[in-house]
Amino acid sequence: MRMRNMDPLILALPKGRILNELAPILKACGIEPEADFTDECSRKLRFSTNDPGLDIIRVRSFDAATFVAYGGAHLGVAGSDVLEEFSYSELYAPVDLKIGHCRLSVAMPVQEAETENTTRHSHIRIATKYPNLTARHFANAGIQAECIKLNGAMEIAPALGLCRRIVDLVSTGSTLKANGLAETETILEVSSKLIVNRTALKTRAEAMEAWIERFRQATRA
Amino acid sequence: MNEKAGERALLPSGFEDLLPPHAQREYQAIGTLMSAFGRFGYERVKPPLAEFEESLMSTGPGAALSQETFRVMDPVSHRMMGLRSDITAQIARIAVSRLPGASRPLRLTYANDVIRTRASQQRTLRQFTQVGCEMIGTDDADSDVEIVIVALNGLASLALGSVSIDFAVPRLLEAVLESYGMDPAQRRDLCRRLQSRDEQVLETVEDLDLRAILQGLLHASGASDRALPKLEALDLPGAAASLAARLRDVVTGIEKAAQALGLGGVSLTIDPLESRGFEYHDGVAFTFFSKDVRGELGRGGRYRVPGGQGADTSAAGFTFYMDTLRQAMKDETLTQRIYVPKAEGWSCVKMLQDAGWVVIRGADERPSTQDFKAIYKNGKIQEI
Repeated sequence: MRMRNMDPLILALPKGRILNELAPILKACGIEPEADFTDECSRKLRFSTNDPGLDIIRVRSFDAATFVAYGGAHLGVAGSDVLEEFSYSELYAPVDLKIGHCRLSVAMPVQEAETENTTRHSHIRIATKYPNLTARHFANAGIQAECIKLNGAMEIAPALGLCRRIVDLVSTGSTLKANGLAETETILEVSSKLIVNRTALKTRAEAMEAWIERFRQATRA
Repeated sequence: MNEKAGERALLPSGFEDLLPPHAQREYQAIGTLMSAFGRFGYERVKPPLAEFEESLMSTGPGAALSQETFRVMDPVSHRMMGLRSDITAQIARIAVSRLPGASRPLRLTYANDVIRTRASQQRTLRQFTQVGCEMIGTDDADSDVEIVIVALNGLASLALGSVSIDFAVPRLLEAVLESYGMDPAQRRDLCRRLQSRDEQVLETVEDLDLRAILQGLLHASGASDRALPKLEALDLPGAAASLAARLRDVVTGIEKAAQALGLGGVSLTIDPLESRGFEYHDGVAFTFFSKDVRGELGRGGRYRVPGGQGADTSAAGFTFYMDTLRQAMKDETLTQRIYVPKAEGWSCVKMLQDAGWVVIRGADERPSTQDFKAIYKNGKIQEI
């Protein structure tokens, strides 16, 4: 029984773009993952680090939050877009890592954006990867959002008559422009956060707080 | 399983069949807890499964769970009934409506199922058993200590290892912000972000004194021996200061009492900003965890009971969730099952049972399964 408590803490990191931005922060925290971790071809999912008390898992960006929320991992990194979408009650987001900056925005075809009066709608169909966040945002404006969940290439959806709006992450806006869409509203400014599991913070307070403090210092530098 | 049978087996989400040995383990644990609570003078009550909506959900604890409560129309009175989603509200009602004359503090205990419209992320079940105690009619640190000690004693009677308690003061943050005159809308957003431990939000706080206090609160969490001094060092405004002082008295009181009662090995942490799930608590509140289980074992704290005729009274209580508690309990050794062929007759049954065996009778000479410790044959016990 006691063994469980000695098990290494698990840090869930998102694959892809963010991982490169994250590298200097991990280094500043003194975390050196095993060699396989940076090898894109490696099939491994769980990696050891130079610290026997910490292991890393590499998962999809949406899943990092899920692993931590359900206690599969103790710490993790997730964008504020993901955190707002799922609004997991079991997560704390103590440190803004100040990486992965972008924004979650509403976009619509350019001509419509010029002529349309948004307040007249009681219902809009929207393609997005973020149905909860989107529905909540439009509900606040008194509009019922019918969300079509897509996992990518939203920008093409309005032109094909699938929907009138999209809600998606925007960093430069060039993809929108290339598809004849105009960004009309920002829902959320996004950056990556260090997230921790609420129960783990309480039952393994000392180790968890030490890691939080290290990340805090690393982002301050 | 063919399609028909599969359909019959499917239960609505959040409902489950509890099978051997888990059901047995749960009932045994409830019995053990009840007698442990009983030794502190907590007397059992059994409220009904359904009540009229107004009575179930008007009082503080009930109102907080209104969204989680199933409602049905009573075909007899044509009024709406609520199926209980939490027992505390019912105990509070009983205290002021049925037992207003009973001497205070009133010590009551219960073990009943509740049913909720929604599962939570922590608890995927929609029906589960709550076991707990309520102490109604006092408002002092010693009562807070007693209720936690009774709970800890209960956990100890189940031989649960590595328990930790996290203390919170759900109204503390509100009290601080209120005394700095922050408007409710601003307060809500700030509270939400502070509660998710977002330190960056402090940059939006203009008052530097307030910012220092909030920063201090963010860091005054963790093991109580380190975090309590940090909390005490803060320059908290009036109401918040007395809440913090109560927390200190309760935590030190529990340390002392636990030592005197031999309830060692419990780690105490504090988290002054925690308010999740403490919608109706107005004093010190707490959550029980076990390092061996992911969810919460239980929670409790101090709250107000709206008075029947008189003024409001204060009460403190706790509730354990049997579904999580069950997971934290150690597996007992296999029960002593003995196979007795029917040919051996009935006379040996009582003798074996008295000797502690669980007797399973069967038609054949030998059992067809392996889960027996022994066989009774020709008047002799043969171990397998």
